[in-house]
Amino acid sequence: MLHTKIIDTKDSKLSIQKAENFISSQDYGASIFFTGTVRNENNNQIVTGMTYDSHDELVIKSFEEIYDEANQKLNIKDKSVFIEHAKGYLTLGEISIVIAVACKHRDEAYVLSRYIIEEIKKRSPIWKKEHYHNKESSWLKGNPILHEKN
Amino acid sequence: MKVKIQLFGASRDFSNKNYLDFDVGKNSTIKDIRNKLINYLEEEFHGNENYKKIVKSSAFCSEDNNIVSDNYKITNNEKIAIIPPIGGG
Repeated sequence: MLHTKIIDTKDSKLSIQKAENFISSQDYGASIFFTGTVRNENNNQIVTGMTYDSHDELVIKSFEEIYDEANQKLNIKDKSVFIEHAKGYLTLGEISIVIAVACKHRDEAYVLSRYIIEEIKKRSPIWKKEHYHNKESSWLKGNPILHEKN
Repeated sequence: MKVKIQLFGASRDFSNKNYLDFDVGKNSTIKDIRNKLINYLEEEFHGNENYKKIVKSSAFCSEDNNIVSDNYKITNNEKIAIIPPIGGG
């Protein structure tokens, strides 16, 4: 089971409760919740907020591919996965990403959760613009996108 | 032929709009779009090296949401997204 969504911060906020409602099942004995939040410092600069940009269709496609790959690469077939990512402006401490996974056992839940976030970092077209204490802002450098043909 | 380049991430600084419109020759490819963008930056931003680096390190995405190679042939009125280096989470 998979749920994916890009959340426009003008409309709503990301929620761990929503993730728990989705993955909760008596079929699974282990659940992992990962959240990414906006930090107050980066590269010795005082950060006051972050703007997220996203190519929504390609991001959702990448989430689906990552989920499907877990079948083949990790051999984790029986699972429930919830992935939401924010788009727009977030202030300090607000949640930018929620990844919730539920599996039969803890070993595969930990592996799956880590796999999903690391693959998103490499393959999902999402960008961050940091806003600083001195009112300036800057797009973070990032890495060239990896995709299935690479 | 007309092509619309949708801007994302750091490339949004290339324009006040979310896109750039270019006229390109028949059978143009992503490689031609990359060169068009570099020429545009030369003219509009005095060849800003940081902006040019973004174009050189970017991937491109077709209208049907596939990352495409430099040899990909563009169709008339196609929307192509520029995908600068990424970093979500």
